Amino acid sequence: MSEAVVKPAVVVPVPRGNLLVDTWWVCWRELKHYVGQPMRIFMTLFQPLVWLVLMGNMYQRIAAVPGFPAKSYLDYMAPGIVVMVTLFGGMFTGMSVVWDRRLGFLHKMLAAPLARSAVVTGKMLAAGIQAIIQGLVILLIALAMGVKFSAGIGGVPLLLLLAALLCLVLTGFSLALAAVVTTHETLMALVNFFTMPLMFTSNAMMPTQFMPTWLADIARVNPISFAINPMRTLFLSGYDVAGLVEGFLILGALVAVMAFIASSLFRRGMA
Amino acid sequence: MDHTTDKPGVAATPLAAGAAAEAAPPAVGGDGPALWAKDLVKRYRRGVLAVDQASFEVPRGEIFGFLGPNGAGKSTTILMLITLLRPTAGQARVCGYDVARRADAVRRSVGYVSQDIAVDDTLTGRQNVYLQGRFYHLPPRVIAARSAEVLAMVDLADRADDLVSTYSGGMRKRLDIAEGLIHRPAVLFLDEPTLGLDIQTRRRIWEYIERLRREQGITIFLTTHYMDEADALCDRVAIIDHGRIVAIGATGELKRTVGGDLVTLKLRGPDGRPVTPDVADLPGVEHAYEPRDGALSFVVKDGERDVPRILATLGERGLVCDSLAMKRPSLDDVFLHFTGRELRQDEGGGSFWRTSMAVRRARR
Repeated sequence: MSEAVVKPAVVVPVPRGNLLVDTWWVCWRELKHYVGQPMRIFMTLFQPLVWLVLMGNMYQRIAAVPGFPAKSYLDYMAPGIVVMVTLFGGMFTGMSVVWDRRLGFLHKMLAAPLARSAVVTGKMLAAGIQAIIQGLVILLIALAMGVKFSAGIGGVPLLLLLAALLCLVLTGFSLALAAVVTTHETLMALVNFFTMPLMFTSNAMMPTQFMPTWLADIARVNPISFAINPMRTLFLSGYDVAGLVEGFLILGALVAVMAFIASSLFRRGMA
Repeated sequence: MDHTTDKPGVAATPLAAGAAAEAAPPAVGGDGPALWAKDLVKRYRRGVLAVDQASFEVPRGEIFGFLGPNGAGKSTTILMLITLLRPTAGQARVCGYDVARRADAVRRSVGYVSQDIAVDDTLTGRQNVYLQGRFYHLPPRVIAARSAEVLAMVDLADRADDLVSTYSGGMRKRLDIAEGLIHRPAVLFLDEPTLGLDIQTRRRIWEYIERLRREQGITIFLTTHYMDEADALCDRVAIIDHGRIVAIGATGELKRTVGGDLVTLKLRGPDGRPVTPDVADLPGVEHAYEPRDGALSFVVKDGERDVPRILATLGERGLVCDSLAMKRPSLDDVFLHFTGRELRQDEGGGSFWRTSMAVRRARR
């Protein structure tokens, strides 16, 4: 059989890539997973409706308490639901890495000449796109339920962009955890450990003035609050340029920090 | 396929482990070897020494096999060569590129098919190949043409647009191999390419591997713990045990070092009880192994001439032969010769499996 062997293949390395293109193809796969599962799409859209109806009615009478910043509790908590759904979605992104690692797909991606950070940035981008879709759905449901969006149509992109940035921060955090933790049980426990406290030490559901001082202090530095304050202003009163700028700057900085930490942790284990 | 003949066209290589890679490291783009490793060591953080001073050289266009039991360090060696693991010590070059300094160039030159069957079962076969093409920065037109080609090669053309979740294990493996070919790598790494597959599928995969080398001149580095696979496919093999290369050479050449013919026999003494006397002094015996299960095994220079003389000598000593088997040496015997144990003994064996798992955990 060896007689027929052709001349050994000449080494022609495939072209170098760039981070943006590679990010897109990692993201493409994640989006395919999303659209490939109709049940998952349905749940991500249906879930916010349940939250809005349940929680909106549960705490309805809080709006009557003097000092409550909104006319109805539903108005107050609609941006809180956007943040909550974003939080859950973002924090669970790390699970896909654990699966990819277990199935060998992570090695497949890392063995390819992908930009080293593309696994992290691709998964972040996919989660950000999902956050925008979910944010839009929640907004539409909330409007249908009579919530007022004071900023009007021009405020919608701002709202969704804030949700996407928050999602990227949390995805980065989740991916950083997944770079270190290799079993899905442990990652699940860690994600749950962080998710609920992050939620309830923010002002997503309750104004800070209703909290004990120590909790209000935590809520003020909670990264969730930096997204929710400008979002809530868009709902309740319209544009607050200073608040928006502050929100975008802080979230943007956090995204960069988290993406850097997550990619470095991924790179650490590899040559 | 004749499993016993030596494969022609391969330069004789010193058998001693470590004797390869004496020459200077190969340069990029030259006619030098596709793979070159010198004193490669990997010690995991938990202290497991997975690869211990491995040195070898694989000329371009060769099918080279790493043969050894689970946990011997085969996958770890591949992971170092494809830049997914940093060697603890030593050097390696792939297509002339240093794995530590030119990791990106290495990744752009090689293909890798892991033993995990890493296909995405929420996508179709064609989408999997497409994505792999994108990961390797191929333009969409090239991907479209080549994906049809590689899918046809592994006989998946008619199922290409079905979701991978509907594929059988063998189909997934073939898809995975097809993906490894989409960018026409100069060197293809196959980690246990037929692990857990049925015999028909294994033979088909062997045929694909042969074809790749024959038609495209791809250098193939594969790991296996199946003797028949190494025997059927590889021009040369390195036998690796506990992280060390214990022998390296062309399969026929390795078999010749074991000697002539392997004889296994069971004897009964004058009292009718099974006995296992020392056989080293019998005519023609070159190498005797430890008796196992009441059977003696040893190598003789020329079985057809020596065995009758041996039986005559044993008869003079009052021993009766119950059963006798003689065979030409296989790679199993080569493994036995160099490691002192049989390869298949280790499969599923408790301690061995544990080391293998420890290594896998450490790798993740």
